[in-house]
Amino acid sequence: MKLKLALMGAAASLASVPMAMADGHAGERGRDGNVSIIYWQAPSILNPFLSGGTKDIEAASMIIEPLARYNETGALVPWLASEIPTTENGGVSEDLTTITWKITPGIKWADGTPFTSADVKFTADYCMHPEGGCAQLTKFEGVTSVEALDDMTVKVTFDKPTPFPYGPFVGGESPIIQAAQFANCTGAAASSCSTENFNPIGTGPFKVVEFKPNDVITMEANDMYREEGKPAFASVTFKGGGDATAAGRAVMETGEFDYAWNLQLAPDVIANMEKGGKGTPVAGFGPLVERIMLNQTNPSADLSAEDRSVIRPHPFLGDPAVYKAMSMAIDRSLLVEIGYGKAGKVTCNWVPAPDAFNSTSMTCDKQDIAGANKLLEDAGWVDSNGDGSRDKDGVELSVLYQSSTNAVRQDFQALIKQWWSEIGITTELRNIDASVFFGGDAASPDTFQKFYADVEMYANTFNGTDPQSYLANGLCDKAPSPATQWQGENISRFCNEEFDALHAKLAETAGLEARAEIGKQLNDIIVQNGGMIPLVHRGRLSAHANSLGGVILNVWDSEIWNSADWYRIK
Amino acid sequence: MLDDQKQPLVTVDNLKMHFPIFGGLLQRRTGEVKAVDGISFDIFEGETLGLVGESGCGKSTVGRSVLRLYEVTDGSVVIDGQDIAKAAPEELRHMRTQMQMIFQDPQASLNPRMKVAEIIAEPLREHIKSTPAERRTRVLELMDQVGLNRDFANRYPHEFSGGQRQRIGIARALALNPKFIVCDEPIAALDVSIQAQVVNLLEELQETLGLTYLFISHDLSMVRHIADRVAVMYLGRIVELAPRDDIYADPQHPYTKALLSAVPEPDPSVEEKVERIILTGDVPSPAKPPQGCNFCTRCPAVKDICKRDEPEFREVQPGRFVACHRFNDIT
Amino acid sequence: MFTFTIRRLILTVPTLLFISFVIFMIVKLSPSDPTGNLPLTIPSEVREQIREALGVNKPLIVQYGLWLKQFFWLEPRIYLEHAFGWDMGTAGEVRLISYQTRSPVMELIMQRMPQTLMVVGTAYLVGTLIALPIGIISAYKQYSVFDQLGTLVSMIGFSVPPFFSGVLVIVLFSVMIPSDSFFWLPSIYDTTHEVTDWESFKYQFRQMIMPVMVLALQITAQISRFTRASMLDNLNQDYVRTARAKGLKEQTVVLVHVLRNSMIPVVTVIALGIPSIFGGAIITEQVFKVNGLGQLLIIAIQGGDVPTVQTLTFIFAILIVLFNLIADVLYGILDPRIRYD
Repeated sequence: MKLKLALMGAAASLASVPMAMADGHAGERGRDGNVSIIYWQAPSILNPFLSGGTKDIEAASMIIEPLARYNETGALVPWLASEIPTTENGGVSEDLTTITWKITPGIKWADGTPFTSADVKFTADYCMHPEGGCAQLTKFEGVTSVEALDDMTVKVTFDKPTPFPYGPFVGGESPIIQAAQFANCTGAAASSCSTENFNPIGTGPFKVVEFKPNDVITMEANDMYREEGKPAFASVTFKGGGDATAAGRAVMETGEFDYAWNLQLAPDVIANMEKGGKGTPVAGFGPLVERIMLNQTNPSADLSAEDRSVIRPHPFLGDPAVYKAMSMAIDRSLLVEIGYGKAGKVTCNWVPAPDAFNSTSMTCDKQDIAGANKLLEDAGWVDSNGDGSRDKDGVELSVLYQSSTNAVRQDFQALIKQWWSEIGITTELRNIDASVFFGGDAASPDTFQKFYADVEMYANTFNGTDPQSYLANGLCDKAPSPATQWQGENISRFCNEEFDALHAKLAETAGLEARAEIGKQLNDIIVQNGGMIPLVHRGRLSAHANSLGGVILNVWDSEIWNSADWYRIK
Repeated sequence: MLDDQKQPLVTVDNLKMHFPIFGGLLQRRTGEVKAVDGISFDIFEGETLGLVGESGCGKSTVGRSVLRLYEVTDGSVVIDGQDIAKAAPEELRHMRTQMQMIFQDPQASLNPRMKVAEIIAEPLREHIKSTPAERRTRVLELMDQVGLNRDFANRYPHEFSGGQRQRIGIARALALNPKFIVCDEPIAALDVSIQAQVVNLLEELQETLGLTYLFISHDLSMVRHIADRVAVMYLGRIVELAPRDDIYADPQHPYTKALLSAVPEPDPSVEEKVERIILTGDVPSPAKPPQGCNFCTRCPAVKDICKRDEPEFREVQPGRFVACHRFNDIT
Repeated sequence: MFTFTIRRLILTVPTLLFISFVIFMIVKLSPSDPTGNLPLTIPSEVREQIREALGVNKPLIVQYGLWLKQFFWLEPRIYLEHAFGWDMGTAGEVRLISYQTRSPVMELIMQRMPQTLMVVGTAYLVGTLIALPIGIISAYKQYSVFDQLGTLVSMIGFSVPPFFSGVLVIVLFSVMIPSDSFFWLPSIYDTTHEVTDWESFKYQFRQMIMPVMVLALQITAQISRFTRASMLDNLNQDYVRTARAKGLKEQTVVLVHVLRNSMIPVVTVIALGIPSIFGGAIITEQVFKVNGLGQLLIIAIQGGDVPTVQTLTFIFAILIVLFNLIADVLYGILDPRIRYD
């Protein structure tokens, strides 16, 4: 509770501080000299369409921009467009199949040429080219055509009613690139355009001076930027590499850098660094959830590889008493405290954010070992052979629990193994190198998609504020199996007719409130039917120098989305 | 030769060479090996003193200490009237022209990266003001003297055979016209056929250049061939010193007797009759020599006094010195 | 010697081809995926398309053949074009492209080379220059206080990993010392820094101190131990006694006789260590954010960037083979006892 209060306090001060300071702060463009940013993962490329990496998308967000962005509260705000199209203002057609964007007049590319609808249309063609290997293709899912109605108007048509049409051209993953620059870089040629990919011409507050891949980006203020007096900084040093500790140290202890991204560090390490007095950590919460996925199929090694992912049900994980007891035995507050500190919250939900989608039907912040034991007892699970694990009808409650190699995850595994042993479930732990675990190599038996274990732990999230496609990860037909070459996002292979039907309904429903209601129901179905055990709602923790003003951490878009508003506190 | 009252060129008095032993965690000094423990002898000008003894008895150490290739622990070594054991380094360096050494292993004792001419010329360059041409002449002269082909001057040591290498070593030793040469087992590493050549060369050079040798060897028959007088060492001390013929004909010290009885006789009829004295036990460690006489642990004629007192090294007959309690009564 | 060198050079060709194949197979068959590090929000169909566009799904032998062609035929021609302005008809050909950055691997390597050579190369030089006198004096004064101290420093250099010593010096010189102090040193290496005048040279010097010294400690440890051992081997040789017996000055004995002979193995060890300069120092580069070849390699490995990993490791292989040959030839030149004919 204390933690919650503290967090709310921090969030409140975060919201008010920049406001107060922004008032008294204005002046010439480039008046504040250089700002230095450190990302411990170094950007490799500045074209988000060729890299899905957060580091690349966020670095590019200072240079190229979308038509609309999400702000720090997850609300859509117009960026290069003059307003957000909705059914009310006629921007979205009544049948929900088209959306028409109006571009703010007068925007210029950094090279001085005017920004037009042709660039927007080109961007769509670029990403949707079948040979391009565009990493942001999901943003354009269902798009049948993009037309430039006139120089300032773009119409996107979908193949079916799309109640949430804000995929294309919205958010840091889908910025607009200049048609003139990338004209020769479509399709298979995309890879060979390294000059363009390293130095995209944009409309953003900064432009690239020099890009050293996986190392450092030097930027300078864009003279053509649409807002007078912005950006305040004349140049940017965007350094990459090293590790989160070093990045945090460089901002909070040595003061060499102004902004450090994504400090995934132990809470006590952050607290120690803060004592350095040169910088402040800031946290923001998106929908990222650390969870335990429960296997719905039988992963027994006795079965052939083909069958392990198909044979249903799991010998015991389908029993509500078992998965509920497993969840009750976990002390989520302790997990948050040791694993994430400021950057974590207890959650029982698959979709904990945005707030509208956060279901309140379940509570799980109290550990209840006794209750869990009773639940199992009542369901007939007893330790009849005295080997330390409960059993029923010859089935032992013994699980293989896998995760990726990561200090926090291994701590969690050890703790949870202990708690589960207290309720008579024996656990075997396994950790797999992240590049293998998440690698998706169809030949490897250790990928999280194959899920050759009873339970596995990882974190997942979605981009933007609408969870429709993320909730689709619970659909029967998204299960990875040999038939789909192990492709698919329904990792636990959850399959529930009610869920599928409700999701279909979501896909046809417009209006935030109605969608949120369905979203919450979908969330509850999957959690209550043992698809997963959500553990921790993870936030993102970054740090900025005390002398850097205007930082508003945004987890719904690029976290440095408002770098144009940053300034030096003197 | 012995009849002439010659002046001793080298006088060694109570020479001690103790090597420290380091041990323990901090490599502190924990003891010492008494390789040479108080020996005295003279070498007369122009003579060859043979120094014999079994392996490890300290004879090579004597050779090196006499030339102060080791910093001696105690005692004095007077060569040509100068005590080199206490000479200052720079003084010593100049005295080195007077004394030289021929080493056992001709391969190891020559710097593998220097050509023969450089090896021989180096001491000349160091001690005598000379032009390169002069040095060159002297080098070739020396090579002739030791029987090396002049054409080989620009070769490296590894390109020569063992005997030739020893000749290089001898040429090098002769470069500065020394008076005194320590021959430390100069033939031990050579083939038997070559051994004779090298020994003959040494004898020849002694004749022509009037050299004085300290000839260290474990080969008793070779010593008999070359030496004028012979000293026998056991465990860091000289047990007997006598003219060659005397010692071979009538050894006095029990150890000398045992040692000489081991020399094979060329005549089979004599060989059969030889009564070999077989010593039992091992040589004690020079780090912990026994109390009293060093030889008391193995001596076939040991007496109580031997285990108590150290025998004096005394002249039992004119020119014959023995360190044994058995001769206490004689004088 | 000449024929030996030629023969060895010819032999390196099949050796290197074999190495390149082995590296390729190891990198390819290891479970890594260029799309593995992408966020989970990118669905598998899109991943598949990305892989397709990168050419990951082509048969292995085709990929290997393509790599061979690009590395041995295309890239050298492009280099020649750049160097001499010739037209060798490379326009329009697909270069060796990194999966991560979609830019030519060779350009990445060229870009990384200066800071690696600057930092690791200097460290190697400094380390060697410190190591030689330490090794020589330690051997000459065996068991003295100096020798014991040298042993201690070497032990530290051998056993303390750079991720510890690096962070330790950062905490000491970047965190604990206030940043306006003269002794403060930057913890993050600025690869964009250019030396144009005295001030910028001073800054370059300051930012190099910590990474160079951390690396040099390790290099010093190795080479000084090696020098000491080699010196000791020679100090007890008969020829050194001969040299003393000749009445040479002690200085001449040690510097001319002992040192020259001891340097034969040391020089070859130093030569064999040179490829490691190009290999960078992965950990030290990471700690100080030098972002040279070592960091390029580790990021490429993490990102499943096969062309970069393959090319970098292969270049290291070439250097190692080459410097082995150089070490052998050096040995032959320095030690007259060794003849290769």
